[in-house]
Amino acid sequence: MGSIRFENVGKVYGNAKTGFKALDGVSLDISEKEFVAIVGPSGCGKTTCLRMVAGFESVSSGKVLVNDKTVTTPGADRAVVFQQFALFPWKTVRQNIEFGLRNKGIGRAERNRLVADALKLMTLESHGDAYPHQLSGGMQQRVAIARAYVLDPSVLLMDEPFGALDAQTRVVMQEELVRLARVNPRTVLFITHGVEEAVYLADRVAIMTRRPGTIKEVIDIKSIRTQEKWDSYEKIEDVMDLESFVHLRTRIWKSLREEKIAAVT
Amino acid sequence: MRNRKTIIGLGAILGVVVLWFALSRWFGIIPASRFPTPADFWDALKQIELRGYAGSRLHDHAWHSLRLIVISFIVAVGTGVPLGLLMGWNRKAEALINPVFTLIRPIPPLAWIPLAILWLGLGDAAKVMVIWFAAFVPSVINAHAGVRNIDKSVIEAARMLGTPPFRLVTEVILPGALPMIFTGLRLSLQASWTTLVAAELVGALVGIGFVLNVAQQDIYPAMILVGMLTAGVLGWFTTFILGLVEKSVLSWSVRGRA
Amino acid sequence: MQQRLSWAETVTYGFIGLAVFLGVWYALPTIGLVPQQFLPSPVTVLNRMVVLMTQPFAGATLPAHIGYSFIRFFTGFLLAALIGIPLGLIMGWFRVVDEIVAPIFDGLRFIAPIAWVPFAALWFGTGVGGPVMIIFAGAFPPCVINAYRGAKQVDPQLIEAAEMLGTGHLRMMTEILLPASVPSIVAGLRVAAGLGWQSLVGAELIVASTGVGFMMVQAQGNVATSTVMCGMVAIGIVGLIIDMLLRRGEEAIRRRRGLAE
Repeated sequence: MGSIRFENVGKVYGNAKTGFKALDGVSLDISEKEFVAIVGPSGCGKTTCLRMVAGFESVSSGKVLVNDKTVTTPGADRAVVFQQFALFPWKTVRQNIEFGLRNKGIGRAERNRLVADALKLMTLESHGDAYPHQLSGGMQQRVAIARAYVLDPSVLLMDEPFGALDAQTRVVMQEELVRLARVNPRTVLFITHGVEEAVYLADRVAIMTRRPGTIKEVIDIKSIRTQEKWDSYEKIEDVMDLESFVHLRTRIWKSLREEKIAAVT
Repeated sequence: MRNRKTIIGLGAILGVVVLWFALSRWFGIIPASRFPTPADFWDALKQIELRGYAGSRLHDHAWHSLRLIVISFIVAVGTGVPLGLLMGWNRKAEALINPVFTLIRPIPPLAWIPLAILWLGLGDAAKVMVIWFAAFVPSVINAHAGVRNIDKSVIEAARMLGTPPFRLVTEVILPGALPMIFTGLRLSLQASWTTLVAAELVGALVGIGFVLNVAQQDIYPAMILVGMLTAGVLGWFTTFILGLVEKSVLSWSVRGRA
Repeated sequence: MQQRLSWAETVTYGFIGLAVFLGVWYALPTIGLVPQQFLPSPVTVLNRMVVLMTQPFAGATLPAHIGYSFIRFFTGFLLAALIGIPLGLIMGWFRVVDEIVAPIFDGLRFIAPIAWVPFAALWFGTGVGGPVMIIFAGAFPPCVINAYRGAKQVDPQLIEAAEMLGTGHLRMMTEILLPASVPSIVAGLRVAAGLGWQSLVGAELIVASTGVGFMMVQAQGNVATSTVMCGMVAIGIVGLIIDMLLRRGEEAIRRRRGLAE
């Protein structure tokens, strides 16, 4: 459960002649429980790719398949974590998290149990009755992640989820996400600007070209991570010091840099 | 996209008209004594325009009301806008006038009607007075806000360039406050119409409101509808003209329309 | 723009302005420049108000008239809110409904609420339905418009999040659009209350047999100018109180949402 496939996906805004080509022949296969990050220069269309899987945007050509079925509408099986959190400001943390469960028709006792588990999972136990504006950015994003996780989605879509957080909070959240992903794995499609973030979190990193975007290359991280035992290190900074990490990061950077230069010239 | 909207819009209005026919004429669900049938409406319209009703023909009534609106509107904004500009510009003037203004403000314009009748009788003067009270307030408030919203550095630049007072007002302050002034004008116009119709309903001898009054006493629903729709059309028309004026005057404004 | 005045200056100038106004008002009838019947002095009006608190005029005391007026206002206002707000939200969510209703709504908007009075008289006589209908006509548009705008201006990401969470139409409107639009809706309610209260006055001038407006018309017929002015003052005060209460409500909501400045 939870495979994603992009089959030669193209996206054009406006009509075919005067339109704006955002994506051009994107093909990518993501297997179950795989954590894949997409990096690319600004405007390359990586967010558009995520939004297509989510069902917020339609394809102009090609196919986007989840579990071998074409995506049509948004739904809780493909939970989304937004960059700006998108929490409902008039609902408490608890009410935000249980909202999707209510839509599924899950009974109150069961909901309370699931929400309690989610609060514990994201270390939010004491904030259940707070309102979003009373929480810091990091905590709000935790609520958003909890809201997504509680639905037990087969696919988790994260659109630059830590982009709106300050640097220190971002690091903490990255460590947490790694912990979550190991403890409670599921398919994750993660969009980001940050190469280091991608290398740290993902099993594979896909590099997109500049607009109109397509997949330039896909770099396998997992094999190196397992080999070099990154998971044995607790802190991010220790992992980021490793030669294997630096090597991967630089390789991706260079690839991206080509795209950025090409974009400017 | 735009065409679809227009088509659906026209369709909706057409639908209402058809519904009107259906409910009144074809199925007789709405009794004619309560609400006129389209045929009744048409007859009443013909009557008032061709033969006259309540003392004059439709266009005379409409013209009389329109004339009053234009006169009162101009008087109201002619006094309101300068006062608002003054209060916005000069803090002392504002402090002086504010308390009195705050006292008068909560009194709904229509509440001035009995007093106006006592003071000026049933003629046009009373109507102008009441409309003045109605249209005056939004103009003052918005002119005031318009002045306050002018970018300070623009005023400072004008000062630095040695602008004499009169020119400062006519070429800097007034244009700068103009977008908000127009917002006030629109509100004033709306208030004027409401007040005029009400004033004419209560005490008049000619005008749209008077037509409504007589039709009500005669228990003539079709004529009531004619009066209402005429008031609506005139209201729309004057708003439209104001919009045209606004567009041409404010062509420099980025927003175009406040 | 000039410098701000100090608090003391503001009060002083305000006091002067008020004093001049009241002074002239008092002087004109008292000295005899203007007949008392025409312009009663503020003192006369005040005395008359006190009298009207207990002595009936045109069928009831002033507080009783105010009570009748307020009940009508409240009924019309409540109806306008209960029908208008859901309608605005539905129009904001379902484009088809918007496209169908909007032209009709825009067309009717130009007919001043007061123009409905003759029909109100025809259908309800001097019963309570008449004024309520006029108040409804006045208060309805702002309720609809502000609910509509509120719904249209909801952060699209919130709507996407709700869609992602599998939210059905009804729940989308009641648990997402409605709460998100509350600031806009409350602002609309304030405008609606103002318009409704004004329409009430107009309606009562013509189609009522009780209420402050009715009292004023009767007073005008009897050339009881001070009573007319009492009515005006009473209407102004009640209108202010209503607006103040709504403004408090609006601020409380903004604070709760973390929107306060």
